[in-house]
Amino acid sequence: MDAKHIEVGYDSVTRVRIGKGLPLVYIGGPCAIESRDHAFKMAEDIGRICEKLGVSWIYKSCYDKDCRSSPDSFHGMGLEEGLRVLADIRDAFGVPVVSDFSDSSWAAATGEVCDMVQVPAYLCRQTSILRAAAETKRPVHLKKGQFMSPWNMKNSIRKLEAFGCDRVLLADRGTFMGYNMLVNDMTCFPIMAQTGYPVCFDATHSIQMPTSMGNVSGGQREFIPYLVRAAVACGVDALFMETHDDPPSALSDPNTVLDIQYLENVLGQAKKVHEMRLEILDQFGEDNVHPAK
Amino acid sequence: MSTPQSKTLKVADVMLPVGRFPIVPPNMLLKEALEEMGKWRLGIVCVSADEKLSGIMTDGDIRRMLLEVQKPFSAFFSDDVIDHAIVSPVVTTDETLLLDAVNLMEKKEVWDLPVTGKNGALVGLLHLHPVVQTLLDSA
Repeated sequence: MDAKHIEVGYDSVTRVRIGKGLPLVYIGGPCAIESRDHAFKMAEDIGRICEKLGVSWIYKSCYDKDCRSSPDSFHGMGLEEGLRVLADIRDAFGVPVVSDFSDSSWAAATGEVCDMVQVPAYLCRQTSILRAAAETKRPVHLKKGQFMSPWNMKNSIRKLEAFGCDRVLLADRGTFMGYNMLVNDMTCFPIMAQTGYPVCFDATHSIQMPTSMGNVSGGQREFIPYLVRAAVACGVDALFMETHDDPPSALSDPNTVLDIQYLENVLGQAKKVHEMRLEILDQFGEDNVHPAK
Repeated sequence: MSTPQSKTLKVADVMLPVGRFPIVPPNMLLKEALEEMGKWRLGIVCVSADEKLSGIMTDGDIRRMLLEVQKPFSAFFSDDVIDHAIVSPVVTTDETLLLDAVNLMEKKEVWDLPVTGKNGALVGLLHLHPVVQTLLDSA
């Protein structure tokens, strides 16, 4: 399958291209939009780091966290107000934005504002969600469900294509190993890349321990740099990491978001590993080990 | 068995026309292609895009694959059928003399020959059993 490149961004914002052989793209932000001021502060801080590193990026934050473990957890700013904040961040920083939606009735409004729409991993095989995502006509960031094999993601891809979508970014955010535990199978990247679409590693959700704290998800943030280096060396086109200036007070995913004080270090390493991988492939040729006969 | 009548028969006279054998698109999942193949009980499926022959897959091909494949069956079933098809099969044309086609089957040790028309389009499948029956009837 020929490798497809996707371009994220419309109107006045920076166009960000994601695909095989292109520079690594960063997708990140706080898990949830907590307040207008906080969202802007995070965009400013991330933008400064990405500019310093020379990394193209897409701002990600959610207006509704429908998958929280507890009914008492922060649910989000809400569709209208949240999208207003994202629209204003686009205008203020010229950066493309992405947000997910958990209800197909939110898709059109999300696609009106966002440069890319995201399908949550838990909902990655829901036909109504995939149809709604495709109908936005925006590129779709499709996360592999923690319960899905990478090869079975082809079914979700084909649903998107059947509904008219031809721009997809496929992400891995870990795979369930028993209860409350995720592991990363690095072979999922070449397997998902066989679809022809670019692939992304979601580092901060991969170190999540889903609902391990009873009614809250835990996480092992200390492993983020290790998994980032491994995934980028394996071969991804984009890196997704949620980040926060004060993780303990984060209103969503406090145990998994990367403290922004580490972002420059981790993203800088990822950029370097990605560039080295492209140099290595250039020197030694593309991976071409034939399957066993 | 080679009677005056049988000598003039052409492949077009005996082949199964389109609609009488399984044809699937190249990007059909292998599992779906196997199901389609099973419905027709011919032991072969033709893979075709835009009416052109892209490849074939037979019971024997699948039997050999089962001994070779190293990936989980769920991944194997999720592959596109074209990934496992024979993409340059021996073919014949509808205008070919039937006896020449049968000799080709004998030489290549195959039981089926996809049949292509003038423009290279897939127009039929020459399956050994109807051929034998026809030749027996004309003897």
